[in-house]
Parts: sequence; structure tokens; C-alpha cells
Amino acid sequence: MSLPQFKLLRPRSVAEAIEHLVKHAGSVRVLAGGTDIIPSMRQKLFEPECVVDLRAISEIRGIKPQTDGSVEIGTLTTIRTIERSDFLREHYPVLSEAAGTVASPVLRNMGTIGGNICLDTRCLWYNQSLTWRKGCGFCIKKDGDLCHVAPGGTKCWAAFSGDTPPALLCLKAEIEIVGPNGTRRVPLADFYTGLGDNYRNLQANELLTRVFLPASSKDYRGVYRKLRVRGSIDYPLAGVAVVLKRSNGHVSDARIGITAVNPAPLLVGGAAELLVGKAVDEALAEAAGDLAAKISKPLTTSALTPEYRREMIRVFTKRAVLAAAQVNGN
Amino acid sequence: MTQPTTKDQRPTTDFSIIGKPTAMVDAAAKTTGVGKYTDDLSVPGMLVGKILHSPYPHARIRRIDTSRAEQLEGVVAVVVGKDAPNPYGILPVGHDEHALALDKVRYVGDNVACVVAISEAIAEKALELIDVDYEVLPAYFDPEESMKATSDLIHDNKPNNLEKDYHHIFGDPDRGFAEADHVAEARFIANEVTHAAMEPHSTLAAFEIDPHTGKPGRLTVWSSTQVPYYLQHKLSLVLEMPMAQIRVIKPLVGGGFGGKSEVIPLEIIAAVAARKAQAPVKITYTREEVFWAHRGRPRTIIDLKTGVKSDGRITAVKARVVQDGGAYCSYGVVTILYSGALLGALYDIPNIQYDGYRVLTNKPACGAMRGHGTVNVRFAFESQLDELAAKIAMDPAEIRCRNLLQPPCITVNGLRVQSYGLPECIEKTVERSRWDERKGKLPRGRGLGIACSHYVSGAANSIIRSDMPHSTVNIKIDRDGGVVVYTGASEIGQGSDTMTAQIAAEVLGCSLSRVRVIAADTDLTPIDIGSYSSRVTFMAGNATLRAANEVKKLIAAAAAKKMDCQPDDLVFREDAVVSRNGHVGTAAIGRPAEQSSAATVSGRVEGQILRGSLQQKRKDEGPKDQMSFEEAVVAAIDFHGALTGTGSYAPPPEARGGKHKGAGVGPSPAYSYSAQVAEVSVDEETGEVTVHKVWAAHDCGRALNPVSVEGQIIGSVWMGMGQALTEEMVWKDGMLMNPGLLEYRSPSSVESPEVEPIIVESIDPEGPFGAKECSEGSLAATIPAIANAIYDAVGIRLHESPFTPERVLAALRAKRNAKALNLTEGVDPTSPTRFREHGGSLWFKGKGPERHPLDPSRHEPAGGTD
Repeated sequence: MSLPQFKLLRPRSVAEAIEHLVKHAGSVRVLAGGTDIIPSMRQKLFEPECVVDLRAISEIRGIKPQTDGSVEIGTLTTIRTIERSDFLREHYPVLSEAAGTVASPVLRNMGTIGGNICLDTRCLWYNQSLTWRKGCGFCIKKDGDLCHVAPGGTKCWAAFSGDTPPALLCLKAEIEIVGPNGTRRVPLADFYTGLGDNYRNLQANELLTRVFLPASSKDYRGVYRKLRVRGSIDYPLAGVAVVLKRSNGHVSDARIGITAVNPAPLLVGGAAELLVGKAVDEALAEAAGDLAAKISKPLTTSALTPEYRREMIRVFTKRAVLAAAQVNGN
Repeated sequence: MTQPTTKDQRPTTDFSIIGKPTAMVDAAAKTTGVGKYTDDLSVPGMLVGKILHSPYPHARIRRIDTSRAEQLEGVVAVVVGKDAPNPYGILPVGHDEHALALDKVRYVGDNVACVVAISEAIAEKALELIDVDYEVLPAYFDPEESMKATSDLIHDNKPNNLEKDYHHIFGDPDRGFAEADHVAEARFIANEVTHAAMEPHSTLAAFEIDPHTGKPGRLTVWSSTQVPYYLQHKLSLVLEMPMAQIRVIKPLVGGGFGGKSEVIPLEIIAAVAARKAQAPVKITYTREEVFWAHRGRPRTIIDLKTGVKSDGRITAVKARVVQDGGAYCSYGVVTILYSGALLGALYDIPNIQYDGYRVLTNKPACGAMRGHGTVNVRFAFESQLDELAAKIAMDPAEIRCRNLLQPPCITVNGLRVQSYGLPECIEKTVERSRWDERKGKLPRGRGLGIACSHYVSGAANSIIRSDMPHSTVNIKIDRDGGVVVYTGASEIGQGSDTMTAQIAAEVLGCSLSRVRVIAADTDLTPIDIGSYSSRVTFMAGNATLRAANEVKKLIAAAAAKKMDCQPDDLVFREDAVVSRNGHVGTAAIGRPAEQSSAATVSGRVEGQILRGSLQQKRKDEGPKDQMSFEEAVVAAIDFHGALTGTGSYAPPPEARGGKHKGAGVGPSPAYSYSAQVAEVSVDEETGEVTVHKVWAAHDCGRALNPVSVEGQIIGSVWMGMGQALTEEMVWKDGMLMNPGLLEYRSPSSVESPEVEPIIVESIDPEGPFGAKECSEGSLAATIPAIANAIYDAVGIRLHESPFTPERVLAALRAKRNAKALNLTEGVDPTSPTRFREHGGSLWFKGKGPERHPLDPSRHEPAGGTD
């Protein structure tokens, strides 16, 4: 499969990149690590006239601890750098752990944190070649008006399948978005729409430039658990991040993030209410699992049955809560 | 019975080349990237071919309009079915394929047209401009549905969409079951898997312009194939050219596993396209196209019944096997026969009933894949044997030992067994895995399982019935002392070139570096029917052995004259020819070897090229009791005029099997044997299975290259593990849902277990130096070994492969009568009753593509949720 023809633009600054995005707003895609967009372009999921290759922009690369204790991560920072950073390992270990489960070592060397946050939602009826999609009559997300996983439906259910966002959500991450009209900073949770097709709140002329982790999240310890068939390469079929904050021997705050079972990564509401003030035990962890399973709505967008994947959200959440308690010295 | 001797115990053999771990002769080229695979090749003026595939599983082509595509700038030609309408197929009984569809397409991905253009992008664009008017027909996806078909047949000459059925009875199965103390009966399903070789298929076809007519003349085809001679033959049929005008060259091949063991559509299409475009054309499949070309292991339903006495002896086996063969015959008739025939030759089974059905469906054709025909039935059989062992409270290793053959013998279904290392394979794996002390005593969730398997060392009867030798090898030695071996055998990564070089060097007593192997080029090399059914070591190896012996005889005659002794007194070893009379014992061999190393450096002595005068000097010295290899070669050429030898191999008549219909498939000159113990753990909350270690003993006759044998054993176990746990082609209304290596999940290095290969050498009386096959026989044992280990770990018996976490979890829940969690849509995975259209781990409840209203799949939606 050949790549479609496009003009490759290589800006050296964010400002220059925005200029390109504005100029070609009608048909432009951004390339950061390229691990997802290149195969997608070969499958003719995107046929932009221009591709803006961000890799020459050094100002948004790297992990920069701030004086107030928070940290700023440039969106071009590779997943590998996130995984290996001693600073993040010490202060935000759940993010390091989630980063370490992304795809395979080769892909982690190329893929970026910004790319993982912006990762296109996935579905077996969508991530296929043009010839293949022709055979199924296309779908809502691309070129068609049918949904194959929810027949009769008008909503796209393609699943968000990034590994780091549930961890970032647990850490109350904020993101910086730069556009022609300036810079805005929004909570990551507001970035996702919950729709499979139009899955993120980002205009075509805007760029995701930085991720901020607040100093207050340093007290939160936890783990990321990922369901996949193979120990490497695979996207998550279900993923759970759990962080706990403890004081005086009991949980003083808790956050649970899930991924790969909805069109967006989600924070599980009511987690804090359930866990705060209690000592974590098997029954409590199981209750947390039920809570997470309740809001997960996997469909047949990937391997393994939806019923099984929802069940695994329950099991993995339970295990993650127990493990997070362990990490926190329960 | 041949007394097996092991590698560990046998005394140091007298061999100088074979039996020693040897680096592959092509290893450097492959590891440094210098080696050329077909897609690396390029010739001047070469164009790119791209194939238009059918979007429908079953449709009549009313009309194809290629005019818009032809007008696109950069397009040179558009090829359609009528450009080459002759049918072909790998089996003489299965000529049901065409280069491109003539009037019908039979699966999503079937080949409709081919665009030849100056670039891939232009060719792809042109594909969009071809207008095809299809009349969609009802399609068949489920073999048991397909067998009921009366209209809209996939092939008009195949009633009920039945490619072929066989019904065999050996002995008296009814009496056998009556005598049994325990009988087990169950349905097993093995889902569809494919080869997933690293190199996608690629073909480059180029015509020479005939100097007399100015028209396309001789054709040269470079192709990633396991069977260059079959390709030459089929090209000649389709192109209506004499075989002598067609040259097929096999460059390096990046893995075959059976996926390149027949003529694949692109090979024919590239040649037809090159003829029409009047320019060289290269086609390389995308990974998706590789999945459509397929020819992998069919999904198989096995209804199996086995009877045993209380003492463990098997009294009878009855198997009904239905294979979902896809839209074309391919190797199907052979596959369905292997499934029945190889019920025999592993254990002593006195009564066998076999009913095999190869069914056509509207999916890509299934064909040969590593362990061709045996693997799925072996999974069922070894699982059931384990179940019966539990019933009669016998150790699973012991029940296998109670049913051993007593070779030399001929089995009830006519298979001749001579060397039989199975007892030692079982003994070794049991010993190494500390089976006796650990089986059944591991902590809950962890278990051990044992299973056995076997495979042919080449088929005793070739596909095309004839008296032709199956392998022929030529050897030429020139005055430089370089040995060139010409063999048609196809190196596909399995080590056939290395094996050939080793055998030649061993016989001629020369160093391996003297031997150059020229392989698989139909203009240069004598005919060899190809690299499949694990035939190369046994057959091409024997042919090499014979050719080398012939050359050796010529050298010995001349050398004996020089040395004034009898040819029989000469020993060829370490680049020297030594008279036994002069030097007894191995100590004497050191000196000539030292001498020869001086001579090896291109015959340069004392700074001058003095071969002539050197000989003169020798002559003057009178008879000697040793000569260097080079001196002996020069003497032989001077004496005989030329130094060449030919050897060929045809299986002996007594190995060719019985007389019943279908008896041609299954017989082999020798069988390899394998026993394996797998250690697994099962997570009872998630259903995830982890394989920790596999002990795999394989009887390969003699290990010509132990490191290569070990590699093949490990590879077989790994591939078997893929089929056991993760690999599965998943379908929805004829659409392959996972046509890529991201969603078709072969194991990664992370979950690859430790494999302890154990080489068992039974020294076959007819194999080259006693060797048999080592590449396929071990695969089939892995799947049931893992299944049986899962049973040992958590007490569930899985009847459907792969053992995905949701199947395992559903079985665990069913056993515990736990909350009825609908994990696989109402199908109890412990007893699959029907063949579900979509496979299992992806259960598509969703809306499939629009299909014909009369599709059987529309009438009775699988799982009842469509």
C-alpha cells in the first residue's frame, strides 16, 4: 500500500507550525511520532494535502520540572523518555508504568506522549485498508453512514486505545493547546468528547503543545493494569489506572481511570466516595471494580468479546486497587 | 525395532562434518542485509503490478470495464481473466483456479484484474477506475451449511459444495468399541490459522524478446516459492508455453511454512501481466493480500470417538472430520486425507474408522501448513487420550507407552514404520520435566501436560503420479577443487542448502567451505519437487549422498591408481585422501590435512602457481600413501576427463502404502516422532494462560546439524503455541476481520516460553546417514500438551482452539456453575456443538456488510444475535 501524495512541511517552531495549520486548515494532518498516522495514511484513512511534521520543534520536547513542584512535559517527548525518566518514576510512577506498556520498544522510541493523548480512536471496521472497507460498505467514522458494531445506531463507538491518558487523568493532568487566537490550558478530561468519530476537542488549526502534572498529584501512588493478548505490541483491550492518596493509615483520596472500553478514556466517578476513609480490602476493591465496570461500554471494536472486556475492567480494577494500596504501604 | 541411541550416549561418531553444530551457509548474507529476496530485485524497465480484489464473497461478474483505468497516465496495461483463461491448481484433480476471475468471484479478496503501471501509487489509483458490475450471489461461510447447498454452488461441478469426501474403515471398529472398557466421544473445533511468514509473497516476471520474431520469447520468473518446478509447470499450462521456455529462479525466501508450497495467484498474474505489458512486472503482496492468498490450516470440526481397555490399550478410533476449505481446492484433497491417514503410525491402533469431508466455502482457499493435515486431529486425539487416561486412572505418559508400535511394521492403514524413537522421546521428556515427581502435585493453577505427534519425511507418492525421481542432484568438481552442488531443493530458511553442503562435504571428505550450493533455478538445477511435507533432508539429502558417492568413486579410482592401492582402501577425510594400508587409525589424518591447508590457498606453493610442476614432482616421487583433496581431484579429471556425478531419489515401492482409494496420501519412507511436556499456569480470574516451559523431544533419525534441528523444534513449539493460545482468523460474513499482524496475534518474544529441545536419534535405515525430518513433527504435540496442562492446572477440558482467555474463563465458570456470564454468546466453549461463522474470540454481533438476501448466514444468524 502506497502513501498518498502530500506536501511535507517541517516547521522549526510552534508559531511556524500554527501558521502552516492555519494556511492549510482544509486538509492537513500533524505528524509527531508517526507510528499511527503513517499506517493510517497507507490505509487511506487520511489523505491530507499537507502533513506538518513537528519533529524539528525542540521547544515542546522534554520533561521540565517546575519550581512549584509541578512538571511540564512537551508533547513531542517520546514514550520511551517518559518511561525512563527518573523524575517521573519518582514522582508520578503510574505514568511511567503506563508508558512502559505502550506497544513495543521500537514504537515507544518513536511514539510521543502528545500522539498517545491524541491517538485516533480504533475499531476493526475502521482500521482497515480502503479495499477492505469497501467490502463492508464503509462506516460512520469514515466514508459511510453505517455502524457495524451498533447496528442501526448513528453514534460511532470506536474505542480510545491510548495507555497513558487514564494515568494522566488520575494525575489531574492539564494540557496546553496553541492556536491562531492564542494559548489555552484545559483539563485533559475536557479534551475528549466521548464520541468515536469526533473524539477530541481540537480544531484543525490548533496544536497540543504541553502536558502539565500538578505538584499536588505527587502524593498519589498507583498502578496501571492492561489487558492484552500478547505481552508486547498490542493496544490495550481494556486498561485501568488507579492512584490512591493516603494519610493516617487510610485512603484520603482515590482516582480510577479506564481506557480502551469507551470512545474516550474516563475517570470513574464515585471512586473517591467509595474508597476514602477506608482501609483497602478485597471486598472494597471488588466494589471499586463494579463501579468501573458499570461505566465501561466496550463493543466489538477489537479482539475478545465485549462481555469479557467489561469483566476484565472489573477484575483489573480490583487488582489495581489492591496493588495501589500495596504500593502505598497498606 | 531399531535400537535408538541418543546423541548424549552414543560414542563419538566417525563423522567430520555432519552431527556438528554448523552455521547456515547463507547466514551472513541474511544477517548483514546483503542477501536478496524477490522484492529486493529489480530489472531495467520493470513495472509494478497491483491486483484488484473482489469486495463480495460470492458474485457473478456481469461486465468489467477497464477503459478508464487504461487512460490514466502511467498505466501500461490492465489484465483481466480472459487474457489467460486456462485453469490451473496445485493438484491434478483440482484445476479450479484462474489467473484472474473469468465469470465469478468466490471470496472477498478474489482476484479480478491487475493494473500494470510505472508506480505503485498510480497502479492503486487505476484500481479505483476499474468498473466491475457484480451480480451478488448467496454465499456460504459455514461448512456444515455449505454441505446442504443445492443452488448457487461455489463450483458448478461440485454438488453440495463438497470438494471431496473419503470414508475409510481399517480393521473392525465396531468390534473394537465393543471390546473397549471405556469410550470417550466429543466434538473438537480447531479454528483457522495461517502461516504468517515474515516475507510477503513477491514475484518478478520478465520476458526476453525473441530475436527472430520480436515478440515475447523466453520467460524468467523470480519468485518467493517453495516449489519452483511446480510453478514452472503451472505457468506453462496457463501461458501455453513449453516448460523449456520458462525459467523459474527462487531467490532467498523469508519463510514458507506451506504458504508458498503451491502456485499462488500473484505468480501467475505477474507472468500474464508481463506478457501483456511487454515489460518486466513485479508484484509484491501487501500483508492483507497474503492473508487473502492464505492456503493456511482450515478450521476443522472433529467428532472423535476413542475406546480403550482398562489396561490402557486403544481398541478403536472413529473420527469424522469436516474441513472448512475455502473457495478453491488447493491442497484440500491431500489435507483431508492426511487428517485420516496420520491417525495411524504414531500409536498401535488396531481399528480405525475415518470419514473426512473437505467442504468449499466463500472464503480464501486453505492449503498446506506446517504439520499439514495432522495438527487439528492430533489436538483432538491427544486431548481425548488424556481424558481416557484420567477415566482409567492411568498416568497420561503411561497410557501412551501402552500403545506403542513394534517396528518394523506396517500399520492397519498401510503405513510402513521402520525407525521409531517415540519411546525414547516420551522417556526423555518425562525425565527432564521431572514428570513423575511433579505431575498433579503443582500448586493450584499450575499444571503439566504431555502429548505426542509425528510427521512424514516427505510423501512417498508425489502429487503428480509418475515414476520420476522426487529429487535429483548434480555435483561438479573442477581442477580448483571447488565442489559445486546443483539441487532443485528450495532453501526457505529451513537450512536445506546447509544440509546439502554438509552431506556433500562429509562424503567427499572435504571442508565445508569448498562446497558451493546452487539451488532452485530450473535452468541450472535438476528437478526436485520442492520444499514441502518435510521431504528435503530425506529425499534431496539422499540424492546428494548418491551424487557425492558417485563422484567419490571417480576420484577414488584415479587416486588409487596414483597411490598404487585399491579404491576401497582409500579414506576421504579432512581434505585428504589417505590409504588405509599406509596409515591406520585417525592419528595419521593430521599430516595431510596440514599439507592440504597450504595447497588450499589456490594451489600456490613457494610463491608460484605450480600445479603442473607440482604434479610432475609428485610423479617423480613415486606412489604415495596420501594425497590432498585437490591433488586427488586433479588426478581424477586427468584420468576421467571430467568430474561430475548425479544422484537421485525415489521412495521405495514398499513405502508407498496400501491400495484403497486415497491410500496415496500418508505413506512416507520414514516418520519423525515427538513427545512434549508443557508446563502452564492459568489465572482463574482472567482465564489467561501462561506457558512457562516446554520440553520437546524429537526423533529426527540423525541430527545432521544439531543446532538447526534444535531451531526447528523450538520454532515448531512456538508456532504450535500460537495456534494453541492466540492465533485465529476471524470472520464476519466473509470478511476477514484481522488481516494484519497487529490483529492476527502470533506470539511475541515476551510470552515465548523456555523451550528445551531434546534430540532423539533413531538412525533410520533409509535416511541419509539415518536422518529424518525435523521441521514439522513437533508442532502438533504442542497444542494438546498445553490443553492437557490446562486440565492438570485447573481441571477444565478445552475443546476449541485457540484457548483464548474468554474461552478459558467461560469454561472455568461453567465448571463452577458460577454466575452465568455470557462471555462467548451462549456457546459453552467446553462443548462446541456447531461451527460458528465468526470464529470465537471475536464474536461479532454487529451488522455485517450487505449480502444477498438468500445467504444461509442470513437465515440462521450465528449465535442468534445478528
